[in-house]
Amino acid sequence: MAYSDKVVDHFNNPRNMGSFKKEEDGVGTGMVGAPECGDVMKLQIKVQNDTIVDAKFKTFGCGSAIASSSLATEWLKGKTLEEAQKIKNTDIVQELNLPPVKIHCSVLAEDAIKAALADYQKKAENK
Amino acid sequence: MASSHACFVRTDDMDHSQTQHTGRRELQMARSMCWHCQSEVSGEYFCERCVKVQPVSKEADYFTCLGFPRRLTIDPQKLEAKFYELSRAFHPDFYQNKSETEQAISLSNAATLNTAYRTLRDPIQRAEYLLAIEAGAVKEIRTTPPADLFEEILELQETLEEYRASDQSSQTGQQLRSKLQSEQHALEERKQEMETQLQHLFVEWDALQDRGEATSDARTQRDRLLKRMREILSNRTYVRNIVNDLVATIG
Repeated sequence: MAYSDKVVDHFNNPRNMGSFKKEEDGVGTGMVGAPECGDVMKLQIKVQNDTIVDAKFKTFGCGSAIASSSLATEWLKGKTLEEAQKIKNTDIVQELNLPPVKIHCSVLAEDAIKAALADYQKKAENK
Repeated sequence: MASSHACFVRTDDMDHSQTQHTGRRELQMARSMCWHCQSEVSGEYFCERCVKVQPVSKEADYFTCLGFPRRLTIDPQKLEAKFYELSRAFHPDFYQNKSETEQAISLSNAATLNTAYRTLRDPIQRAEYLLAIEAGAVKEIRTTPPADLFEEILELQETLEEYRASDQSSQTGQQLRSKLQSEQHALEERKQEMETQLQHLFVEWDALQDRGEATSDARTQRDRLLKRMREILSNRTYVRNIVNDLVATIG
């Protein structure tokens, strides 16, 4: 099975790789894994005035998982929290042309977005 | 042989009447009629009357296919013996002179048994399989992702990248290498621990099944065990992956 050009591009030039300090103000961290394949994904957002001003990721997994999280961080930047909630794994599948066996990678990325948003909300409420 | 399946029938007592064949064997089958002579077959690999081979039901789980109760502790020797016995019974060589239908059934049975044996032989695959067939009853086994383990894996992954990019004969390269080696050993030990924990849970699961209670207490216990096994199996997969990566990189 060949990877699409877009997957290869994200894999070779991952956008926004890295991390923020978890405790930092306005940072939400999503940590998810896929027990079936053992992929691990960490996605973080930095929020100011309900808008995501920056996003970073670290992924241990296959090319599609890396590309999915890389794309997700690109999309998240500049979005409001409400808009970010609406990102669907199917959008990622479409953009990256993921084959059926790799759809779970996009699901993982969506889960990571949701987890990061939830973590940010929780932190904001507890403040 | 004990079993919770109602349609699991022993037919040993009929062995004597069918001496021309390799003996009767028990098997749960959804179909209740011999495809050939239409007489009742409820749990045999061969029809009692016309001795034609019967297809293994597509609905039967792998434990049932091999005539084992749904338990997690399985004696590997008994499993192997049963598998060999059935492999002989369905071996295509014995069906060369039989009808096409019988050849097809024996072939399909042999394939099913092969998959069943391969799945049940390995304790990890056996547990994964049990969780898959039991999960339906609990709907969904949700577990919290082990954040600490994930952090560790991602950090290790970075060190691995660093090592790959470094001049591996340099002092920095050597230092990274020995750091990775000790990490590898620690993780291998942890994987071992997880497998030991799983063994204990297997025993607990089997004991619970043997008691066969239908109390709410038993249900809570059952869900707890399934969830705990799911957690450990998942964590083991994460650890295994990073260990494989380590082994591939530093050898």
